[in-house]
Amino acid sequence: MSAELVFMMGEYQAVFPVDRQYAKNHMWASREPSGSWRFGFSAYAVRLLQDVYFLDLTIEPGMELSERQEIGSIESKKAESSLYSPIAGRVSDLNRQLLEDPSMINVDKYGRGWLFEINGDESPLLSSNDYLQHLSAAWQVAQRTIKGQANA
Amino acid sequence: MPEIQEPIRQLTAVLSAGQSRNPEKRELEQGIADCLANLPGVKVVCVPHLYDLARDGEVYRKLKEIDSDIVLFSWLYDRAAHWILDRNGIRGQQGEVYLKLDGDDEQDEELDKELDSSNQADDERVIASQPRPARMIYSIDLRTSTQVQDYVQEVARIQQLASDQSLAGGGPSMAESHSLPKFMPETLQRFVTPTNDSYVGAQSGAEMENANHKNTLFGASSVLTITEHATRRWYPVIDFSRCTNCMECIDFCLFGVYGVDTVDTILVEQPDNCRKGCPACSRVCPQNAIIFPQHKTPAIAGAPVDSSGLKIDLSKLFGAPESDEDPAAVAARERDEQLILAGRAPVESHSDLSDRLAQSAATKKKPDELDSLLDELDSLDL
Repeated sequence: MSAELVFMMGEYQAVFPVDRQYAKNHMWASREPSGSWRFGFSAYAVRLLQDVYFLDLTIEPGMELSERQEIGSIESKKAESSLYSPIAGRVSDLNRQLLEDPSMINVDKYGRGWLFEINGDESPLLSSNDYLQHLSAAWQVAQRTIKGQANA
Repeated sequence: MPEIQEPIRQLTAVLSAGQSRNPEKRELEQGIADCLANLPGVKVVCVPHLYDLARDGEVYRKLKEIDSDIVLFSWLYDRAAHWILDRNGIRGQQGEVYLKLDGDDEQDEELDKELDSSNQADDERVIASQPRPARMIYSIDLRTSTQVQDYVQEVARIQQLASDQSLAGGGPSMAESHSLPKFMPETLQRFVTPTNDSYVGAQSGAEMENANHKNTLFGASSVLTITEHATRRWYPVIDFSRCTNCMECIDFCLFGVYGVDTVDTILVEQPDNCRKGCPACSRVCPQNAIIFPQHKTPAIAGAPVDSSGLKIDLSKLFGAPESDEDPAAVAARERDEQLILAGRAPVESHSDLSDRLAQSAATKKKPDELDSLLDELDSLDL
């Protein structure tokens, strides 16, 4: 793999390849030959989720999405959450194997653990450097959120 | 002879596995299966997530062979699970379960019953004209408790209930407190003191039936695991204890999901024509009889609370803000989204629908003031 950036989440080294873009909702995005953007969870997201037990995507190829439209849900060892579209555009593909067995998200998050492809407006996407900036702010919030919920 | 006098009633526990690979959930499923298998008279069938399975597949074919009462465990609301089985030909009466999700307390039930009976005069439910068999199906939501023991106790209670019933000889105690099926006195007599040991016809759990189970379905074991590959599906499930066959859904859905059977009763004829994620038809159903078991809104997924158009929502009286859209408008919008997605022209207007619903509400008989008040409150929701 080409060069990567590292972000420390406590003791944990979250690694981000620089060959792709990132969305603020912690997905990576890489341009496919077809022109679509392929999305998957970043190391930051996977670290917070840990083992993924269940993935549901309520989208189908051809569907037009707005940015932050709800597109499914995820259950993992550490969290249950709805998922939202990182950009506006038309869904062009889904990784259906993950619906059967989502463990590839943990095994190969930057490769075979990809989630879906969207052909659309890439303007919200960040460079890996900008994403890391975004992370340092997000990580403060995330720590407070996690502690807040753990102590609730 | 001594075997036949065994008073323990045969129950079959059907355990529908969740879609999630969460080890805690898997452990709970396994724990329940293991413990129930040790209860005398209980057989356990472990199957994949029932909603995703094909009607003509291995699992439903085998489940149809079961003729005992069933305790059904699933990661679904109990109503949803019951009517999923029903649509796949495994039918019976909805048994009363004590182990329930929080919030579905007895007061809710009382209210449900009252409203049910007050509405029943106006609109006949489909199950009134097409009664289900007397066999009981007790549906239990696995999200109710994380403790295996809670489930095992509930099964023991149900088994005891059923045994009391079948041995009561028409005694008044059980018949009064539970709406269990009635047995012919001669059937019970044959059960208690059998004279013909080849008799297998009775529904009351005669041991001959159990012997059949052992030979055909379970072999020597009391746990049967049926595997079947299934992909994720999305389709509506009709609760025929609520459905009045009004045909709003078949008129509304433009994707050919609904059809009618030979006696013109509504059915989900082409489930896989349904558009993934779209719950629009459930919003237009005047009786909230249409369930999408996987929808994240509990009311649409078959939740016991707030699930019923029969139940009064007082939040508007108590000052809740008006929501942006009424359910009919949401449904029309959702349908349009799916039409566009399918490359078809949107319908846009939902006025025909509202007119028809308003008309049917206006022509409804209103026997007293309370009924008309309820109707008005109901119509606020439209």
